[in-house]
Order: sequence, then C-alpha cells, then structure tokens
Amino acid sequence: MIHAMRSIASLSRSRLVRGAIAAAVASFAVAVGAAAPERRYVVAFANATEEPGVSVEGTGFTGADIRESFILAARTLPIDLVFYDNRGDDARAIANAEAAIARKVDLYVQYHRGAAGNAGAAQKLKAAGIPVLAVNEAVPGAPLYGLDNAAAGRIAGDALAQFAVRTWAGQPTVAAVIGRVSTNSERVQGVAEALRKRLPNVRVSMLETQGNPAQAAPLLGPLLAAHPTSKLLIAATDDATALAVKAAVEAAGRARDTAIVGHGVDRSIHGGANDRKELDPTNRAGIVLGSVAFYLDRMGYQVLPLALRMLRGEAVPARTATPHKLITPANVFAEYPPYDMN
Amino acid sequence: MFRVALLSLFALIALSSSPTAFAQSDCKSVVKASPFGPNDQTGATNRVTAAVTKAAAAEIQTGKVTNMSYPLVDGVPLFGSRFTKTILTATSLAPGASFGENQLTYMEDTWLSQSHVGTHLDGMGHIGIKDCYYNQTAMGKFINQNNMTKLGLEHLKSFATRGVIIDMVKVFQDAGKLKSNAACKKPCLDKGTVITAADLQAGLKMYNVTLREGDMVFIHTGWGDLFEQFPAQNALYNSGEPGLGKEAASWLASQKVVGVGNDTWAVEVIPSENPKEAFPVHALLLTDNGIHIMENVRTDLIAAEAASTRRATFFVNMTVPKAVGMTGNFVAIDAIQ
Repeated sequence: MIHAMRSIASLSRSRLVRGAIAAAVASFAVAVGAAAPERRYVVAFANATEEPGVSVEGTGFTGADIRESFILAARTLPIDLVFYDNRGDDARAIANAEAAIARKVDLYVQYHRGAAGNAGAAQKLKAAGIPVLAVNEAVPGAPLYGLDNAAAGRIAGDALAQFAVRTWAGQPTVAAVIGRVSTNSERVQGVAEALRKRLPNVRVSMLETQGNPAQAAPLLGPLLAAHPTSKLLIAATDDATALAVKAAVEAAGRARDTAIVGHGVDRSIHGGANDRKELDPTNRAGIVLGSVAFYLDRMGYQVLPLALRMLRGEAVPARTATPHKLITPANVFAEYPPYDMN
Repeated sequence: MFRVALLSLFALIALSSSPTAFAQSDCKSVVKASPFGPNDQTGATNRVTAAVTKAAAAEIQTGKVTNMSYPLVDGVPLFGSRFTKTILTATSLAPGASFGENQLTYMEDTWLSQSHVGTHLDGMGHIGIKDCYYNQTAMGKFINQNNMTKLGLEHLKSFATRGVIIDMVKVFQDAGKLKSNAACKKPCLDKGTVITAADLQAGLKMYNVTLREGDMVFIHTGWGDLFEQFPAQNALYNSGEPGLGKEAASWLASQKVVGVGNDTWAVEVIPSENPKEAFPVHALLLTDNGIHIMENVRTDLIAAEAASTRRATFFVNMTVPKAVGMTGNFVAIDAIQ
C-alpha cells in the first residue's frame, strides 16, 4: 500500500516535473514568439508624378511632398519602401506594376489619374496575388484612401458664411470661388453649398485662373467694380491663389471688405516660429481666415497604417477619407508644430 | 448702494483669486514630479556626487584632451531671428590712451547674444508643457521681463562626471543601414533618421560600455559635419536632423544619466516621429526628468579617438556660468582621457 502510494506519489512527481518542463518550454516559446520582431514588408508606392514643381490635387503640394511623407511615416513601421513614378501615363503605370511584381513586393500603393492605367495595373497585380491600396483615384477591387473634396469645400464655405453672419449681418455680400475652378468641381460645389446654407441669397461667382494665381487680380477687378459697397467672401481652391487674392484686394483698397479661405495648407501659407507666413498665431486679424488642410504632406502617415492592416490580414474600409480641417492662426501651431524655435 | 458695491468687490476678489482667473494649468497633472524632491531646481546634476566625480576621475589615464565644442562666430548655423554678435572695445590702443609709465593697455568685449546658440546647454527653464516646467513648476508665476526667478542656471551643480561617446555612424554602418546625406563630407546619418534604444545599446556594446548613474551621454551622428561647413550648409543643417526617438530618450532617462548631447541642433529626430508633436524628446528629458540637453556638440573628434583607442569613456570638463535666471547658455566641453 505504502509502495503503491509511493508509486503514485512518484508518478505524480514525475508528471509534475514533466508538466513543469512542458509549461516552461511553452512559456519560453511564447516569450520567444513575443520577442521576435514582426517581419518587415516591402511596400511599393507608385506616385502620380515626381516632376519637380508640378502640383497635385489642385493644391500647392507636389508629388515629392507626398513621397517624403511616406518615407517619414515608414520610419516607425516594419515597412521597406520601393518607389515608382507613374508620370501621369497609363503605360508607365502598368509597367511600374509589372516591375513591382518582378520585385515581389508585398503590397502596392497606386496613385495615378487614369482609369485605363489603374485597371491594367490592378489586373496584373491581382494575377500576381499582390494586394493594392488606391490613393485619391479608384482602382478596381482596391480599397481607396483619398481626399474628400466636397467636404473640404463645405468647410471653407461654412467658415466664410459664419464669418459673414457674425461680422457683416445685414450688409450686402457677394461670394466667389477662384482658382482651378473647372478641374475642382466637387470642392467648388462644396463651397457653394455651405455658403448658401447660411446665406441663401448670396450670389457665388466662379473665377477660373487656369492654375495661375497671377490671374487673381484681373479676374477680381470686375467683381470688385460691380460691387463697390458689398462685402466679399472668397474661397480660393489653393493657397497660392488665396494669397494672390489678398494682395489683389489690398491693392484695390478693399481688404476691409474681404474675407478669404484657401485650400491645402501648404508651406506658402504657414511657416515656423521665425519663418512667419499668413497663417501665424501672431496674425489673428488677417483677412485670410484660414485654409482647409489637405494633409498631402502627411499622406504616408494615413496610408501606410492602412497598408499594414491589409498586410496583417485585417479588414480595412472600402473608402477612407482625409480628415479635412480648417487651419487658422489660432490652431496652426498645434496642427503644424514649428521646429525652428529650438 | 454701498452694499451693492461691497458685494461687487467681493465678487471681483473671488473671481481674481480663483484658479481659472489666472488660466494656470494644474502642473501636477501635466509634468512628472522630480525624483530629487518637491523643491528641487537643480535637476539631474544632483546625481554628480563626490563619489561619481571620483570614479569619473579614473577615466583620466593619458591626459589627452579632446575638444567637443564648435567655434561661436558670425556665420555658424542659427535659426531665423537668433543672433550672437561681439563688439570689441579697443580704445586703449589709441595713441596716448595707454595707462601709466608702463603704458598698460587693455581690450574687452560687449557680447550681445542669445543663449541657445553654438555649443550650448539647455537648462531646466528651457522647455515646458503649457505653463508647466520641470518639477511641476507653474512658470507663469516665476518670470519677469529679464529672467526667471526659478529654475535658473545658478541652481546647477557640477558636470564633473564620466562622459560616454556613442558612435551612431558606426552602429548604422555595421548594421548596413547608413543612409548618408550627400552634403556631408564624412559619413552621417541623414535628417529624419530615428535613433532607437537598440541602436544606443549596440553603440555601447561596440566599446563594451555599460551606462551608470550620473553619466553624460554624447551621441555622434555625423550631422555636425554640416555645422563645420558653415555657412555653406546652414540651411540644410537647420532643416532637420537625425536624433533620438522618444523610446530611446525614455531608455536614457531610465539609466539616470545627467545629460544627453549630440552634434545636432536639437538632439532629437526632426521631423519628429509624430508630425503633430513638437520636440517631444526635449519635454521628456528636460521637463519630465530634469536631464540636460547639450546641442551642437562637436562629437567627431572624440568618436575618432574612441575608434582608435577602443575607449569610449572620458572625464567631462564642462562648466556652466552661474547665470542667474537664465534658461541655457553656451558652454565649452572637453573630453579628458
């Protein structure tokens, strides 16, 4: 009996030891697994254009600004980047996809204006089993991250309308959208919608600059002359045009009658602690009320986390929109901290 | 009428004495408490005890002194409105202006300068979150138009301690991940390169160094090569820099160092890891941990010395003026081995 009990005890002890060893091995494996760094992924970014000085999305940003944002965003992610330049050309867009397939990238971020190029690239990437994430332009079968031009326009229009209601209530007021009006129809529509929501009777003129801010003064001249006693609400489709409008109304002696909102928030309109620009905390009484942020210089910070989720097998929304926001002298340093003050 | 006036007066007094009337932050919820006590204004130089200095003195073996400062002169990289100017007074050299039979003459300078220029030290009053500075100090109560009445440089203790050079250029070269900037004449980490805790640890391992409490840590990034080319590369030098990420700075703070310096203008990576954060490493080291930051430190010479002697430690020779109420000042640093 005692022998039997000893055997049982001995058996129990040996099971206990074996169990303890197994548990230790298991916990070591878990610990090793937890400590093992996540694998790195190769993500291709095919940019719309890398041509110096060529702006994108009707703003003051260039393709280089967008590429740079991907480089900065990747610093803290397990991602190695490969870059391609679609050069605004469908054939090039397809050739770039083929090059990325040959390189066996893990995911392809496509930024290209051209339905044929996007369809061709998507077809080849799908056949190769490479997931695609589209930027600013739909790609068949791919989730899309992009600007919400209509929402951005509404933010601009609402800021102008609120200012007019608050400051010029009861006074004759006219409005205009100026800039690349014909190629930014959603943005323009958004501005007009928001203006009319708060100011139902306001007349909204469309002034097409063809992307040349120097056209602001000659285009505004007739409007100013036709409304010598009216207040003017002006939405510019980009920041350079907003600044040109400011110069034009100042030259015409109508600055006190004018409120302006731009789109983009590129470096032409905001700067650092020493490099003071129009949107600056010390310039709160300016006639440029603000500009709607497009964050194209931060696009990588939005897109790469989405790409990483796709690579980890997580679901991502079919459509993710840029969180546009009105940037004013009051919040510009919170949103774009200056780093020239140290 | 009198009663109404009295009531109004009481209301005014109540309003002005309420915390919201001053719009001050509750600094206890914004900044960490100092490990050196609630009244401390000194920060991490509290760690430089007699024992620490004595142990550091053992680093002096050959007596070789290596310069770790850049010249402070017109043309070195300064931000937009920063300036440093000198005016020489030499009237004594004019004929007949010498003194006495022995014809003694003299010269002296007027130095008009901002304090955070050239090789310099950031003091405890340099960086805060809202109006909250080191040791939960609500700084709005302690400033006037000339200086601070709390946290000034006069409260600092000695920097006579051990220095450690960590050669990031070598670490990145060895790891095969060095992406130098074309404008650097010698290899450098490019701007925006994040230095991690693992990178720092690899650099320490390279020379078999273990950090100890009270050390001053210097990091060679190579970016200072652009400073040396002044004024040609000033704009590039100021446009960004390689440097510490937040995780690396936290690790250094956990090692209880006294100060962190490197051959850049802000020590930390610029642009920051999170584009919406401003100088987070400054706040982490100075405001939350009382650890000094030394900027524009010349690190290439001591890094080269370490490479040739296999010794990455030295005695730090650096003093800071007892400049009352100042937020920082230029310093000269020597490494003695």
